[in-house]
Amino acid sequence: MDEQLQEDWLERRLREEMPYIDDAGFTARVVQKLPAPVSRQSWRAVILISVTLLASVVTYLASDGGRFLVVAAYRFASMPLVFISLVAICATLVATAVAASAAVAQTRETR
Amino acid sequence: MPLNDADLVARVLVDDDHHAFAELVRNHQSAVRGLLRQLTRNDVALADDLAQEAFLRAYKNIRSFRGEAKFSTWLYRIAYNCFREEARKRKELVGIDETKLEAEQDPQTVDPALKHDLMHALQLLPLNERTAILLCCQNGLSHDEAARVLDIPLGTVKTNVLRGREKLKKTLAAWGPN
Repeated sequence: MDEQLQEDWLERRLREEMPYIDDAGFTARVVQKLPAPVSRQSWRAVILISVTLLASVVTYLASDGGRFLVVAAYRFASMPLVFISLVAICATLVATAVAASAAVAQTRETR
Repeated sequence: MPLNDADLVARVLVDDDHHAFAELVRNHQSAVRGLLRQLTRNDVALADDLAQEAFLRAYKNIRSFRGEAKFSTWLYRIAYNCFREEARKRKELVGIDETKLEAEQDPQTVDPALKHDLMHALQLLPLNERTAILLCCQNGLSHDEAARVLDIPLGTVKTNVLRGREKLKKTLAAWGPN
């Protein structure tokens, strides 16, 4: 019993004796030494827009002024309304599933 | 509402957010600096240098934090590694002169006037026992978490805690519960 009491006392003292150390500018000194943030976001946007524009120009030139788009749009418009609705619903479901799985993966990674 | 560690880490990962990292430093600086002060036998300047190095390493390697352990456990591990590297540099790591240390740490040779001082009693423990006691009893880590921080088997952590506690009890016997 005495042994247990002494053990409890020791545990309590150890927890109580842990002094809180005042920050006193420590955090500021650490943050000052952090490497400057790399502006990856802006670079990413520039690269994505450039690649998209380039691909659009190449596709336009290689497809006889985008004629295939006119043909495809005409074909699509002549399809039954039910089929067009089904395609739209399926596309929405696929996009939602991809976005949800990406969000779940990102959450797991950062936990 | 204050953000938890996971949210702050996510902000650092996604946006390279210095404010979020500063919040993490603020939340953990006391525990990390406290641990390092104990490990360096209260060399405040060295402990703070090591703590700063630990936080900078944590920032640089934050992508390797997978969230399998608590952020604090991961941080303690980095801090302990910083301490070990420094100790190796200074050739002060326990084991190099174990006999001398054991002689220093014999509870019978401790000045009775200092027995009331728990912090002093802690300083008298060998490094492995002191670290295990600090992590498990003072910082509230489980034995399993301490084993991860120290990168040693779970059984060794349990043994070190047990031995350290026994020595503390002996040293502080006169100051037990009344």
